[in-house]
Amino acid sequence: MKLNPILNLHPLTKLYFSLFVTISVIIIPSYIFAFTWFPILLVIAIIAGVGKQYLDIVVKALVLLLGIVFIMQLFFYPGDQVIGEWWIFEATKEGLQYGLVLTSRVLAMGSAFILFFRITEIRDFVKALEDLGMPPMGAYIVLSTLQIIPEMRRQAHTIMEAQKTRGVETEGSLLIRAKAFIPILTPLILSSIASTEERAITLESRAFSAPTKKTSLHKLKRSNSDRTIPIVLLILMISLIIWRFFL
Amino acid sequence: MKRSFKDDFNMLAMLLIPIGVAVNLVGFQVANVLKLPIFLDTIGTILIGVVAGPWVALLAGLITNLINAIFNPIYLPYALTSIAIGLGAGYLSKFGMFKQIGKVIISGIIITFIAVIVSAPITVLVFGGATGNTSAIITATFLAAGQELWTAVFSSSFITEVADKVVSVLIVYFIVKSMSDRYLSKMNYGELYMKRKQR
Repeated sequence: MKLNPILNLHPLTKLYFSLFVTISVIIIPSYIFAFTWFPILLVIAIIAGVGKQYLDIVVKALVLLLGIVFIMQLFFYPGDQVIGEWWIFEATKEGLQYGLVLTSRVLAMGSAFILFFRITEIRDFVKALEDLGMPPMGAYIVLSTLQIIPEMRRQAHTIMEAQKTRGVETEGSLLIRAKAFIPILTPLILSSIASTEERAITLESRAFSAPTKKTSLHKLKRSNSDRTIPIVLLILMISLIIWRFFL
Repeated sequence: MKRSFKDDFNMLAMLLIPIGVAVNLVGFQVANVLKLPIFLDTIGTILIGVVAGPWVALLAGLITNLINAIFNPIYLPYALTSIAIGLGAGYLSKFGMFKQIGKVIISGIIITFIAVIVSAPITVLVFGGATGNTSAIITATFLAAGQELWTAVFSSSFITEVADKVVSVLIVYFIVKSMSDRYLSKMNYGELYMKRKQR
């Protein structure tokens, strides 16, 4: 049993928090507010003990995107106040402003989402959804998808090597490479589809679709903080809305 | 052929979803390894749409993007695009648009339009016109040439999507052709593609 206070929270509590971050940056238009979320999220990740991999994924997934989004707005957002020129492009003050707003929002939402999946086991999340009323078939599909992906990646690699030995060329001009796609993908798909029948028989023989209540070995617990945090977030959200629209 | 909504979700169709999602991801990866200029990341969704119908394909598209989003949240808003492609492919299959190669190419173009119409507003409203892929450069070129943002995004995504989707539907067509009658007979829309006609 892990004793980390953040990792031990109920998955839904973590989800509410991520949603809170996402909605708050839509309500508050200031980019300074949206940019402050990132250090806060990073601190949470470090407390949860996933700081390094969290930062890794944020950098890999978001930095290039944010750069491109920012440059696009800087040069192409309609505006009159020119603050700089480069080749045939003009950077405007309005573009700078909008670029900062947009990138700060994408950063806050994106990193909140990444954090959610760093601190939540997918198994727990799916179980939480099942407790909310998702059919067990849905839970099975999500979890088996996650299992099948690496399996099929390995298989695709094997098939590719096998086809190479048989003389299918995978290098050369575009047409030759494109032609190699079909002999790799077709056997992969057909063999995986054949295995679904076996899966169906296995599941049915264990009464998977029997119309009774299912029990689960995997149980989720709600602690006191799981009861208080959502209420605190809700109160904060309402006060943000009131502050933004009525004051 | 009249079917109710619930009939689409039999166990074999549901078990096809993980395969379809994995095919989407692996197809993208193989296209990368072969250095093809197109993504080929919707083959699984379209395949499911063709043999198992629109609603199962909708789920497959949604799950594909949710799983991609775990590592790259950019995919999350584009879940809507995947859903639309799945629905589109399912309905095209229902109306027999995947039976002959000529119709298949038309289906590919229709799916391209669906993808562009759904994804362009997401690109403009969520990301301000460009994400990190190749179409960003084309969009920037159009903008520099003086086009409006919306036209630029629509035309650049159409250019990058059309080859991708037409090739994808053709691959799906050939794969469905090589499926056995025994398997197709168990799928909701498989009957349409069986070689031996019912008597």
